[in-house]
Amino acid sequence: MMPRVAVLFGFGINCDHETKAVFELVGAEAQRIHVNRFISGDTNLADFDILAVPGGFSFGDHLGSGRLLGNRMRFAMRDALRDFVDAGKPIIGICNGFQVLVKTGLLPGPDAGHSPDFVQRGSLGLNDSGRYEDRWVTLEFDPNSPCIWTKGMTRMTCPVRHGEGKYIMPTPQALEALSTTHQLTVRYVDPSTSVGEGLSDTVLPYPMSPNGSMRNVAGICDATGLVFGLMPHPEANYARWLHPDHTRGTAPASEGNALDSWEGEGLQMFRNAVEYVKQNR
Amino acid sequence: MRDVRGDVVRRQLHADHGCNVHRVRSICGYLIQGETTAEAIAARVDDLFADPIIEHGAANTLFLSTDLFDQTPDMVVTVGFKPGVTDNPGKAATDGYLTLFPEDTEAKISTYTTYAFYGAGDLDPTWLAGTLHNGLIERALVADQAACQAGAWPALDYPTPPEQVFIQPKTIDLECDDETLERISTEGLLALNLEEMHAIQAHYRDEEIRALRTTHNISPDAPTDVELECLAQTWSEHCKHKIFASRIHHVDHETGEDTVIDSLFKTHIMTPTHDMQKDVDWLLSVFHDNSGVIAWDDTWSVCMKAETHNSPSALDPYGGAMTGIVGVNRDILGTGLGARPIANTDVFCFGPPNWEGTLPDNLFHPSRVLRGVHAGVRVGGNESGIPTVNGAIVFDDRYIGKPLVYCGTVGIMPRHLPDGRPSHIKTPVAGDIVYMVGGRVGYDGIHGATFSSLELTEESPSSAVQIGDPITQKKMVDMILEARDEGLISCITDNGAGGLSSSIGEMAEYTNGCEIDLATVPLKQAGLSPWEILVSESQERMTVAVRPADQTAFEALANLHEVEATPVATFTSTGMFHVRYGEETVAYLPIDFLHDGVPQLQLESEWTPPQQRPFVTPNEADHNELLSSMLQRPNIASKETWVRQYDHEVIAQTAIKPFVGVERDGPGDAGVIAPLHGDPHGLVISCGIAPRYSDIDAGAMAAAAIDEAVRNAVCVGLDVDKMAGLDNFCWPDPIESVKTPDGRFKLAQLVRANRELERVCRAYRLPCVSGKDSMKNDYGSGKDKISIPPTLLFSLFGDHPDVRKSATSDFKEAGDRIYLVGHSQQELGASELSFMMRERNPANGIGGNVPLLLNPEQNLATYRQLSTTIHQGWVKTAHDCSEGGLAVALAEMCIGGRIGAKVDIDGTGDGDLWARLWGESLGRIVVAVKPEHESDFLATMKGHPTTILGEVTPSSALEMVDGETTLISSDINVLADAWKGTLDMTGGVA
Repeated sequence: MMPRVAVLFGFGINCDHETKAVFELVGAEAQRIHVNRFISGDTNLADFDILAVPGGFSFGDHLGSGRLLGNRMRFAMRDALRDFVDAGKPIIGICNGFQVLVKTGLLPGPDAGHSPDFVQRGSLGLNDSGRYEDRWVTLEFDPNSPCIWTKGMTRMTCPVRHGEGKYIMPTPQALEALSTTHQLTVRYVDPSTSVGEGLSDTVLPYPMSPNGSMRNVAGICDATGLVFGLMPHPEANYARWLHPDHTRGTAPASEGNALDSWEGEGLQMFRNAVEYVKQNR
Repeated sequence: MRDVRGDVVRRQLHADHGCNVHRVRSICGYLIQGETTAEAIAARVDDLFADPIIEHGAANTLFLSTDLFDQTPDMVVTVGFKPGVTDNPGKAATDGYLTLFPEDTEAKISTYTTYAFYGAGDLDPTWLAGTLHNGLIERALVADQAACQAGAWPALDYPTPPEQVFIQPKTIDLECDDETLERISTEGLLALNLEEMHAIQAHYRDEEIRALRTTHNISPDAPTDVELECLAQTWSEHCKHKIFASRIHHVDHETGEDTVIDSLFKTHIMTPTHDMQKDVDWLLSVFHDNSGVIAWDDTWSVCMKAETHNSPSALDPYGGAMTGIVGVNRDILGTGLGARPIANTDVFCFGPPNWEGTLPDNLFHPSRVLRGVHAGVRVGGNESGIPTVNGAIVFDDRYIGKPLVYCGTVGIMPRHLPDGRPSHIKTPVAGDIVYMVGGRVGYDGIHGATFSSLELTEESPSSAVQIGDPITQKKMVDMILEARDEGLISCITDNGAGGLSSSIGEMAEYTNGCEIDLATVPLKQAGLSPWEILVSESQERMTVAVRPADQTAFEALANLHEVEATPVATFTSTGMFHVRYGEETVAYLPIDFLHDGVPQLQLESEWTPPQQRPFVTPNEADHNELLSSMLQRPNIASKETWVRQYDHEVIAQTAIKPFVGVERDGPGDAGVIAPLHGDPHGLVISCGIAPRYSDIDAGAMAAAAIDEAVRNAVCVGLDVDKMAGLDNFCWPDPIESVKTPDGRFKLAQLVRANRELERVCRAYRLPCVSGKDSMKNDYGSGKDKISIPPTLLFSLFGDHPDVRKSATSDFKEAGDRIYLVGHSQQELGASELSFMMRERNPANGIGGNVPLLLNPEQNLATYRQLSTTIHQGWVKTAHDCSEGGLAVALAEMCIGGRIGAKVDIDGTGDGDLWARLWGESLGRIVVAVKPEHESDFLATMKGHPTTILGEVTPSSALEMVDGETTLISSDINVLADAWKGTLDMTGGVA
């Protein structure tokens, strides 16, 4: 049976259609499910293998991005979410979805060996520029991260589209701890560096770092590597014809062939999770 | 921790006013009205109001006296909303509050922001507060230096709206003299002229009508206030387009023509499109619905609509523009049985952002209008999850009087619903239940339609201004599209101008009748009287008809999405627009009188060509300097700072983005989307606008706008055999009157623009499928009157067979061969160069030959061949040549590719070197081709004007010569800085 993906929507989530599409392109069965269907019990989260919280502007980002949707999930879906993670099922949050997972406390989450406790440990603040921007960035992955979503991935380009993407931990120790456990999964890098040598703890200048994140963090995972969130939009580079360089003939190719030679770099992330489910259930 | 909100204010004060404030700190405040104790709320502050990692939160404190603010600020400003104004953060906070305190069901929250200023001692606190709020919708309190020292901090109260007194429906006696009739119209803001008042008067004298009314227990011989308001809305210029429908006596003193035109719309827009509809099978729905629909492939259709929101944007740039964009989104949602909005376009016309002249009373500085409008469209589009893929910003002094805010939206829908019904056809029957879905009705937005049909004065009512609520609307869009796919919708339309009166009234034409009960309409605030409920234009509402059998399913979906949906009316076949308030009938109007009773306007038009002092080119010039200066002109300069703040690629479909090239900062000519995931079949979206050509001839202006839209689309790979257009006219009042002594001339401009529209669209086989007009774009009167230049925005959407075969404007590789497609003529009249030279020396004029489209059939043939070369993959680089001519086009192409070029303009046309370098002749596109594709390219372009210009060079210099004469030799990076600097206006990121 194909892995089943629940793509959350409602209340201002707006990347649900494309997030559903990218999972389907890599061989999953994906459904858009309104948040309230899980809350009301009409639909059971346990029936799914993967949960995706897409990008958007849930509740208009008022009172802090992801806060209000995060609260709904934290209070009304608490048990279902904990059971999902404890069952070893992957969750991804993209952009607003990442903000939601951080505000619910699922990311970075508790130390290894503990169930989710829904305590917020990090945050995402307003970009240093003070502006919402849509621009393409270059990302590099920590090869030692436990994250199942990014296995084998080294570098990719895709857009950021946010006003509140500056990743913050309350103390240097807390940040260092995440670094030690390789939970700082993906970071903004200078595109002129060689692949594998871009990761830097020094904040890069705008716009290479679009937001001023600590250590250029673009996305993090929990201690299990199953829950992953990032500000940039990998689904927005599912096809090379979406890459800004495609008319120049220099849009980076992907090893995958979901769209013949036109698969974009972003699709591999979703394929990783689908393959993980196939192998581990 | 950095206070970014404060930083933004600090940078903006610097960028706009040159003020150097040392530091600004911000506090977000929430005023809570409810039953929960302060202690209980204090315990949960970090769960809702403050982020525990990056913010401090506390209840019942202004914070400024706490040790978080150990330094005393020089000045404090607190800004909150006025009572009754839409407060979106407040609404979200209330929702979140109910998650925490579900018992406190009546609780309400209002938000405010406090800014504390340090190192701002020399600023006037009142002035500072003025820059931070708009008195029409917001209130501000200040603490000056002394108050700060004394710890007397500004504290706002909860903005409780005043109690509204319900006014019983009343009748208005129309048995009076003409003067009184006109006064009733003016004082009631009805915007009805005397002839229209007479038509209404006559209706109530009709014995049959009187008898019918008597049997329905409504005043037999006089209209109720509900009826009069309803007629005023339905018959408004905004809803009925009376000028476009008028009978025009047109005299042309140039040619001696003396003729009568019976409706510009029917003659020049509708008839040509209907003629073209006979030749193609893809024009599914034109003119009569909320947007025009074309078949895109066998399974999907696409539709597009553009609107303007000028008057509200002049009063409140942010709220006015936001309601503009979310409003046009609803036009798409209300098309057929419901289309999904998938792309936005935004075109703005403003006064110069660096304006240093005087400003008339009650008008904002153009830079503030720009910031506000941009923010409104940004928030409206981004939060709705609709990418902004195309647009333009145009500047001219006269737009200080009235900014133009054009918002467009493209939609997509399956051609057939799962139940087999064609999606573009509405299917209501008598007996269907009519729901109002989405927001509630309030005082905001009463008289918007009639207001926009009047000119802006100091007395313009603030109730005409609203702030959109994109999230309420997004929930509604999600819900309605599900309802559509479940087959629950029989008819749907938007609540825009005229509110329920228009939306239900228009839909009632399908079944020939309706019965509305206004007492069932959910209100934001008690006390609205019946006429107000009927005509209020409160936002985020759709009117949806549902079969009685589907009501339960429809309401369940609304519940799931937390969307309010209330049955307020029933369709009938009685022929009557019947409105009750509870049991009492408050309006009883025949449907045909309501929709067809408005008398046709009779107008006078007289054309004499305007006299402009000629533009004389100087004998000597430094073209390098001119190029740098031209690139800095607001009309030409990069708009990237502004455009990059729009989400232009949500939905993962945008294949050609607004900015292109190596550094993604070269200009995109048109947007291209591939909306079906996994499928490269595309749709091109472009626009054209050339308002200054109206200074010479509004007909040429219209032709130029259309050709520009087509050229832009051709540059990225449009299939010219499947394209459709939208005409959006914004005009100064063209009706001759005491206030408008030159009305005949302005109407003649409209006639000429329409004639050119027809001629060019027929030649291009380009059907107009939808359009709109806004006809009162003036400010003030007498010698202080400011009238905008007559402006046509032409938007285009068309097919792109395969987005993988697209072209962009950036030069790609050294050695690529550069060609000019098209000819340059001696056409420098009203060019950007002429305006610049006039600003440098007022003795210069802008007159001369304005660019003309003499042989559009030939242009179309050329465009078709060029598109073929793009679809073959031979041409990857193409750029429209418009404002600033060939010099600016080439500079932009070099900037996009960050690579040089060497070009000879000899042989590119008949004009002198000024015309060939800076002229804006239509029909021209600059193309670059790899040497290996050059022969294929030339073979395909055989017989079409195609001139070699030169090639892309492995350098960082743009070199332009005319035969032996060197004209330009400029460094690309210097040009890039010039082009990008003018409109940055951010104050940096530090």
